[in-house]
Amino acid sequence: MECDEVRPRLDAYLDGELPETERVPLRGHLQDCPDCGPEAAALERLRDDIRRSAPVHRAPEALRSQIRFALRREAAASRPSASLRAPGWLAYAASILLAVAVGSGGTFLLVGERQTDTMAGEIIDSHLRSLLGSHLTDVASSDQHTVKPWFAGRTDLSPPTVELRSEGFPLVGGRLDLIAGKPVPALVYKRREHVINLFVLPASPADHGETLTRRGYNLRHWDEGDLGFWTVTDAAPSELAEFERLFRAATKG
Amino acid sequence: MAWIAERRRQSRFEAVVLPHLDAGFALARWLARNDADAADIVQEACLRAFRYFDSYREGDAKSWLLKIVRRTSYDWLERNRPAEVVPLELEGDPDGSVHSPPAGARDADALLESRSDLRRLDVLIESLPPPLREAIVLRELQELDYRQIAEVTGVPIGTVMSRLHRARAALRRAWDGKGCG
Repeated sequence: MECDEVRPRLDAYLDGELPETERVPLRGHLQDCPDCGPEAAALERLRDDIRRSAPVHRAPEALRSQIRFALRREAAASRPSASLRAPGWLAYAASILLAVAVGSGGTFLLVGERQTDTMAGEIIDSHLRSLLGSHLTDVASSDQHTVKPWFAGRTDLSPPTVELRSEGFPLVGGRLDLIAGKPVPALVYKRREHVINLFVLPASPADHGETLTRRGYNLRHWDEGDLGFWTVTDAAPSELAEFERLFRAATKG
Repeated sequence: MAWIAERRRQSRFEAVVLPHLDAGFALARWLARNDADAADIVQEACLRAFRYFDSYREGDAKSWLLKIVRRTSYDWLERNRPAEVVPLELEGDPDGSVHSPPAGARDADALLESRSDLRRLDVLIESLPPPLREAIVLRELQELDYRQIAEVTGVPIGTVMSRLHRARAALRRAWDGKGCG
């Protein structure tokens, strides 16, 4: 290979874009040629200088959250107003549940914590969505060793996953859901014909310990380490409490 | 249930696109040359990308986002700093050859020599005409290959090669000439 063939190919050579058949003779030429060798070395030096000295620009953290917020607003703009969101029959069913709950007196537990209420609302919304369509699970499996790895790479929260079939709470699967606009892992268990959704979020100061009843659904919340767990179901409060006890015991083990 | 679909779309978008936000910001930052404008551009680009998300096919999400950030950057510059957006001189070699003499490099040289604060390589890069600047940034700092750079900048691979060649020639003349290399 001659100098006048080498020069126009030097950039591509250094960029690793030259086909093997040209790379080998070109490399040979660079070793021998007193002009092209230093030329290639100078180009390489320039690359090193650029990579070493050019500033690395990273998106500011505030921009990241600004963008998430703008996206949520954009997504929300394309959906109808809140009152039209639920299909008629669901709103109807919910109103009956509400009437029953209020009528039965005191089933509604009023908790002042606004944060808990907001979260409970989100959790119930997600629970309802999961029951509505065909989207109860993204990964349908009763095997904890199938469900847990599925979340890896899809969310930065890794949910402890246990099988509780022998205790009467079979694992059905898992899915990715949205709580407060963030993708979070949800584990799906059953109690007879009732679905229990378990959402895993970062630990939060929201109320713990009590069973909340909202819109006819029962919720419980506890923290374990830096993870927060929310369960929701239409099964009885005592069964939800039992589920929590079993789940916590099994995941501690 | 359109709103459920929309939220799922949003969460998928965030999972696919936001990991490349730093790359998008860096490109906008090199083109706009300051942080505040780059942030505006990237936010606008992300909303644009979200609207076009249905046209995204599984694959190179980084190139896809960079392409939109680049387009948004130029639109933004045209609106806000029209003086900066001058068409690059006619780029010969439509056949993609890099044999022809780098005419554009001389213009870049003139620009580089007209500045007195060119003792830093990053300032030199910022002084390159945008088409040469984006080529060098995408190659050296984002480490894209020629095919990806061609995709992001919407030109043939031959043009990518010639722009890189000209950008490096201009940088070397200014950089080596200062004896700071």
